[in-house]
Amino acid sequence: MIVVMAASLALLVCMAGLTLGSTLLSPLEVIAELFGLGDGENAYIVMTLRLPRVLLSFLAGAALGIAGLILQSVIRNPLASPDIIGITNGAAVAATLYTALLMGKWGVAGLPFAAMLGAGTVSLLIYLLSWNKGVTPIRLVLIGIGMAAAAGAVTTMMTVLSPTMVASQAYIWMIGTVYAANYAEVGAMLVVIGVLVPLTLILTRPAHVQELGDDVATSLGDAVQRHRTLFIVISVALAGSAVAYAGTIGFVGLVAPHIARTLIGRSFYLLVPVAGLLGGFLVCAADVIGRTLFLPYDMPAGIFTAAIGAPFFIYLLYRNRNL
Amino acid sequence: MAHLLFDQSKKIWGCVAAFVLFILAATASVSLGQITIPFSTVVDAFVHFDPAITEHMLVRTTRLTRAIIAMVIGGALAVAGAYMQALTRNPLASPSIFGINAGAMFFIVLALSIFPAASMLVYMWVAFLGAAVAAVIVYFLGSLGRDGLSPVKMVLAGSAVAALFASFTQGTLVLNEENLESVLFWMGGSVSVRTMENVQPLLPIMGAAFILALCLARPVNVLISGDDVARGLGLRLGWVKFALAVVIVVLAGGSVAMGGTIAFIGLIVPHIARGLVGQDYRWIVPYCALMGASLLLCADVLARFIIMPQEMPIGVLTALMGTPFFIYIARRGFVKK
Amino acid sequence: MQQKPKLLLLLLMTMVLSIFTAACGSADNKVSNNSEAKPAEQTRKITHPLGTTEIVGTPKKVVTLFQGATDVAVALNVKPVGAVESWSQQPVYEYLRDSLKDVENLGVETQPNLELVSKLKPDLIIASISRHEKIYDQLSKIAPTVMIDPLYDFKNTLAVVGQALNKEAESKVLLDQWDKRVADLKTKLQTKLGSAWPLEATVLNFREDHARIYVTGFAGDILDELGFIRSKTLQAEADKGTVHMKLTSVESIPSMNAKVLFVFKFDDSGAEKVQKLYQEWTNHPLWKGLDAVKSNNVHLVDEVTWNVGGGIIAANLMLDDIYQRFGLEK
Repeated sequence: MIVVMAASLALLVCMAGLTLGSTLLSPLEVIAELFGLGDGENAYIVMTLRLPRVLLSFLAGAALGIAGLILQSVIRNPLASPDIIGITNGAAVAATLYTALLMGKWGVAGLPFAAMLGAGTVSLLIYLLSWNKGVTPIRLVLIGIGMAAAAGAVTTMMTVLSPTMVASQAYIWMIGTVYAANYAEVGAMLVVIGVLVPLTLILTRPAHVQELGDDVATSLGDAVQRHRTLFIVISVALAGSAVAYAGTIGFVGLVAPHIARTLIGRSFYLLVPVAGLLGGFLVCAADVIGRTLFLPYDMPAGIFTAAIGAPFFIYLLYRNRNL
Repeated sequence: MAHLLFDQSKKIWGCVAAFVLFILAATASVSLGQITIPFSTVVDAFVHFDPAITEHMLVRTTRLTRAIIAMVIGGALAVAGAYMQALTRNPLASPSIFGINAGAMFFIVLALSIFPAASMLVYMWVAFLGAAVAAVIVYFLGSLGRDGLSPVKMVLAGSAVAALFASFTQGTLVLNEENLESVLFWMGGSVSVRTMENVQPLLPIMGAAFILALCLARPVNVLISGDDVARGLGLRLGWVKFALAVVIVVLAGGSVAMGGTIAFIGLIVPHIARGLVGQDYRWIVPYCALMGASLLLCADVLARFIIMPQEMPIGVLTALMGTPFFIYIARRGFVKK
Repeated sequence: MQQKPKLLLLLLMTMVLSIFTAACGSADNKVSNNSEAKPAEQTRKITHPLGTTEIVGTPKKVVTLFQGATDVAVALNVKPVGAVESWSQQPVYEYLRDSLKDVENLGVETQPNLELVSKLKPDLIIASISRHEKIYDQLSKIAPTVMIDPLYDFKNTLAVVGQALNKEAESKVLLDQWDKRVADLKTKLQTKLGSAWPLEATVLNFREDHARIYVTGFAGDILDELGFIRSKTLQAEADKGTVHMKLTSVESIPSMNAKVLFVFKFDDSGAEKVQKLYQEWTNHPLWKGLDAVKSNNVHLVDEVTWNVGGGIIAANLMLDDIYQRFGLEK
């Protein structure tokens, strides 16, 4: 089954992430370390450096993949994604502001919160601005695009105006990287996903109905607006937290659900885990590539998500052009 | 949709007014700045040019160059936007939103990293290529799915393509260990980076594109009444659309090659133009050109003053100005034609 | 059909959770090698904004994670086992090359490769707060880590690194030497220039598509120490805390005005473009109207020693440069 395949692919990339790096380890050594049976030689590399990175990249990717899936279902368009409708840009603005103004006082720890706050605020703005006796998906998307452009401009402005230190820090964060991941972050992401994904699945039945169209949905007694809003909130929360901890990794929220849909079809219940697994795979793979291909440099994962995802995406589109 | 200037004579006066506005903006651009040069001196610089006088030099070189670049880009983006909106029947179409600028930018950055010392002409053609590639991809993506090309899908496709190219651009910059601030400023949009000799090769081509745009105005008037109607009236649809695409690519790509990514001009100005003169593209094109040029000239002056002696990237200003406008249009929904 | 996916998801989450728990568990069991105490050697405590680091004895294997630290370590006669790459003239600046042969390249200053650091098994790590705050925990697990800020304050770096390396005496000697040289140069400048002193100076940098005024920062602070002054506009910027200003239009040239200009060009891949911009700007009448240009007091200096080197050796080389350009004997 597809899900099993996706899951094994995911495990494979995680293992790759743990074995590859500037020191090549064998899978056996890695497994030994994981279960506390190792000789301590590679403990630091595996446990402190690689495992959190692998986990964080995977979780962030999964969150983005699922967030994208939800958005695409609500907006009924396979091209919607958190990056496009301004959620990630909003987070970027907040993060850059934080780096420029508050980093000196509160340190790096506050950055994820700033990012989440940014994502949430912008999403709220978008929602409010698209309210005109209710929110139609189209309007939401369009206003989101406008906000994304504005947020992008503000971020560019701040990067240009601020001292070099801020600019380079902000820039690296914006490309998206899981460098220096730690367990606190992994834990936070786990909580987010652990709460929101089951919630999504529970709310799935309404989603199926929504896809049939507003009129049908309302006539079937569904509180369309309410569910739509809730779904969007979940999507924002997922995307916001992923971005908070891993920076604005682009493209995953767009590509992963699309690939999942091509593989599985329309069953939302299956789409959620597969989109998550694929998203996780994408970001994890990007991170592994980033830190092994250009030694001794450690390249941000965000560069490669687009590089990996885009050809895949275009190929799939081409194959399905007559659909 | 009711527009402001109904009869022919009003439109002509409007055009004159737009032209006057344009001249004023151009003058402001040339005289204002870190050093305010009085109007008389500006005139002198052209009439009794004296290379020893700093202000004269300033006017003839820096200020003039900036003004010309701003004019050309402003007009080009506005006209490109107007035609994009006609071609796709989408009031939200514009080179930046549809990822065309992003495509041109990526190709330029890529070319910059492979041939750092290439001439402006090379960059220009690279920009055209990038714009064309982006346009094709957006068209393709937007027509996927059961219901073919729809305005929303195109906007989404455009954003997706813009995001994609932006990612690639970032990636290329980081991989190249390019000092990011060098390129970042230009990417934010700036009309002051290029010199006259840099820009001269492009001007004839942009000029040709403008002329072609004017010639296309009448066919486009027919086009917007619908494909079937147009065909019925004997219009060679394929050729017209192709010519439009060429005009758009050249105008947008050239703008990016000269000034980086400057957003929203192609969106705002056509709407204002349509609000003034209606759907007749024989009027829309000149109005767009004049107003687009004026808008960017004014924005450029503003950019000089906000954080003197440093300058704000002009793309940032236009984006901030354009966003409320964009949101307003998006809220209003699509007016069916 | 609806049960299977949910089950699978549950299974996946359990797997992830168990890996996580196992990881946490075993991580706690590994003792961090912070306190490899050798008996009967003194322990020094260095307090920095992120905590207190204990260092025992004299560290032999040092890792430096920013340019200034590398410079200072070499000045104290300690060859690091690993250092981050230089910003130009990679992987090591030419002025340090002889002293840094066979030093492991740890990647970019902003994201040093932690696996390589751990492989080196250092007993001291010198890092910067502004660059490496986030990895402080990870670094501390490898070796005692000292965090320094700001990056370009080479005297502070020298003092702290001296303390950490158990070479406080040597670092004090170097600092005293520095103070003596500064005082000497200052006096000689005063004597030579007479009433023209204190001299107004601006530090300029040309890049591919813009120019910069370095208001403060490494070079600016040293010039301050020597008694050079800034123009009124620039002093106002300095008081606001501006480190550098980006100038994109030739119209901003007048803001550069000073009696002497020190110019360095960004020495990197885009050298031709930088040269083009430099020529464009220096041929402009506004440039020719600058005081320094009219009196022929524009000095092209080395970017490495004046900006990115960031340490005491670079600083001393900068002093040498100034001695030379003003025709003074050291």
